[in-house]
Amino acid sequence: MSTAAGKGISGEGDVRSWKREPIKPGKSDDQLQALAAERFGLARDAKDRWNLTMTLAAGQAKAKLHEVVRVLRDDPELRFDMLLDLAAIDYLSYPNHRGPRFAVVYLFKSLVFRHRFKLKVEVEEDDAELPSIHDLYRIADWSEREVFDQMGVVFSGHPNLKRILNHHEFIGHPLRKDYPCQKRQKLSINDPMVDQLESRLKHFGYQVVDSGEVHLGAPIAAKHQSVAEQGSVDTQKQKNAAGAVGAGGI
Amino acid sequence: MTFKPVPATVAAVSDSFVPDGVIATSVEAVVNWGRRNSLWPFPFGTACCGIEFMGVVSSVFDISRFGAELVRFSPRQADLLIIAGTITYKQAPVLRRIYDQMCEPKWVISAGACATSGGFYDCYCTVPGIDEIIPVDIYIAGCPPRPEAFLEGLVQLQNKIAREHLKEQKAVGA
Repeated sequence: MSTAAGKGISGEGDVRSWKREPIKPGKSDDQLQALAAERFGLARDAKDRWNLTMTLAAGQAKAKLHEVVRVLRDDPELRFDMLLDLAAIDYLSYPNHRGPRFAVVYLFKSLVFRHRFKLKVEVEEDDAELPSIHDLYRIADWSEREVFDQMGVVFSGHPNLKRILNHHEFIGHPLRKDYPCQKRQKLSINDPMVDQLESRLKHFGYQVVDSGEVHLGAPIAAKHQSVAEQGSVDTQKQKNAAGAVGAGGI
Repeated sequence: MTFKPVPATVAAVSDSFVPDGVIATSVEAVVNWGRRNSLWPFPFGTACCGIEFMGVVSSVFDISRFGAELVRFSPRQADLLIIAGTITYKQAPVLRRIYDQMCEPKWVISAGACATSGGFYDCYCTVPGIDEIIPVDIYIAGCPPRPEAFLEGLVQLQNKIAREHLKEQKAVGA
């Protein structure tokens, strides 16, 4: 963990070089509630029963969500540097519910202050779209894909908003209450996930020349070259051995 | 040369014109004897049934006593596909492809409730029984089945192989 607020929190650099800060006394739920109400104009959720839940209304969500989350993360008094979970609720068959059909819930925790915060963002059914926070928390990348896959909430600005749990031929969003939960959908061909493979290869220094064709980047090729030279004698022995055994192979 | 259905047991002919130590039998009986006592399993373990299969292979229960201890992790080298666990629709094409990659003759054991019927996963993502994808020879009951049940399933399969006829082509594909 970086000492500077907001830096290093999204996982830059080597984890082993991060230094753990001593735990400091955090804020109580009442203090957090007052602070969130003052800074962002958030209201406490009437339905919360166990701990603090602050609600961001559907009309404000698109404009304010990203900024609110950024302040929660970077403010030196708050420092919610960990996104514990990101989940969605469908209130379709919820008793006595009024308001938008969906809600996306963000669970935050501060590793320094050890306080927690629950942010509930209301989402209208006909405009189920929220700004992505993948640039603030790396874990939000996959969490937002999961919410999109299962609930159909779109996260604008997400780099790769594809299904993550269900297969790519799946139609509909199975955790919505109006999806018949026993309706099965067959998959004909697997998704090879070449796009994600390519980005990982590039991350490790490989060059992807053509789609599906991978070449070694210069630094890695040099490393492999030296390894290949060391192992050349053994490789020749193996070839001889294979020839002696005879044609065939597996 | 014609093949007649013969009992799986090796028929000994004790007559004066056959010297001692020589047994007369049919090719079919010998081939089936070899096949059923040297099964090479490919474990497709996706859930807790796979853990039970590890117990079956290990020394206490020891699948080696039945000649099926040579677990291969390449479908090209295996002739017994053991599906031990839940199969999802996302995974189904992978399972189908592994089955297709196995050479004939090949057999399939569906171990446990999930592989056999979907188990308690009666939902949008789980295949309700792998026989929707590939043909199955033996179903093993249990959630998960005990190692003894695995071994009984294996013996049942061995009995089934002993009754097979070389001329009859196995059904390929579902």
